[in-house]
Amino acid sequence: MTVRAAESSDEDLAARAAGGEVSAFEALVVRYQHRVFRLACRLTSETDAPDVVQDTFLQVYRHVSTFRGEAQFSTWLYRIATNAALMHRRARARRPSLSLDEFLPRFDADGQLEDTPDALRVACRVDELLDRQVLATKTLAAIDGLPNLYREAFVLRDLEELPTDEVAQVLGVEPATVRQRVHRARLMVREYLGELAGGRL
Amino acid sequence: MKEVVCMSGVELLMEYMEGALAPEVRAAIEAHVAGCPRCDAFMASYLETPRIVREATRMEMPADLEASLLAALRAWREQDEKRR
Repeated sequence: MTVRAAESSDEDLAARAAGGEVSAFEALVVRYQHRVFRLACRLTSETDAPDVVQDTFLQVYRHVSTFRGEAQFSTWLYRIATNAALMHRRARARRPSLSLDEFLPRFDADGQLEDTPDALRVACRVDELLDRQVLATKTLAAIDGLPNLYREAFVLRDLEELPTDEVAQVLGVEPATVRQRVHRARLMVREYLGELAGGRL
Repeated sequence: MKEVVCMSGVELLMEYMEGALAPEVRAAIEAHVAGCPRCDAFMASYLETPRIVREATRMEMPADLEASLLAALRAWREQDEKRR
């Protein structure tokens, strides 16, 4: 008797795919392809994303028999996809058009934020102030301009909305390290959005 | 603990959001933010940043990618079978 793929758990489908059941592997592809594509766009670019998606599922296909169910299937898949994206970035060897390193909040000698409350709050309204397509291009460039370690943590935690503990498993670091990396990334991106909304970029 | 200023509070924001701070540190941050319009504004934009970036970068997968993935899968399987 075949169990309908749509009702099966990821782990069950992975076990059946490992046993050579093609429809189970196809069901995993269909279930995760959109998430992997979105992740790949955010970690590389819309142009590179289809190749990253294909590499990811090829790795899953080759190694699904080694998946032991110690982690969730999604955690295992995100780890493969994140690595595939990193390989593409390295192979591409193109420098990001923007570096976000210098985008950090500014404090005076007493440790007080320098910007006025209005200037600090304007980042909240960047999606009302900018054209949708312009904002999409600028935010992708901003993510691209983050340091690698910060980008991965920020994308997985803040954009894919994985819990911190799961991001820690995907990246193989402690949850406190994830929080620190996401924090640094978010400070940079927040500052960038503020400058963008304030018309300074 | 030492009095919180904007700079020390900002450094603890993620741990504050995730409930990873001791109660007295948490209370000191809240006391500072309550009296600091700059930090209040900063925190609002810090909280909004993920949503804005998430919505701006929600790319749709091209319609033909699923078909090419499933075709690639068939090709990988055929290669495997030839090797056996």
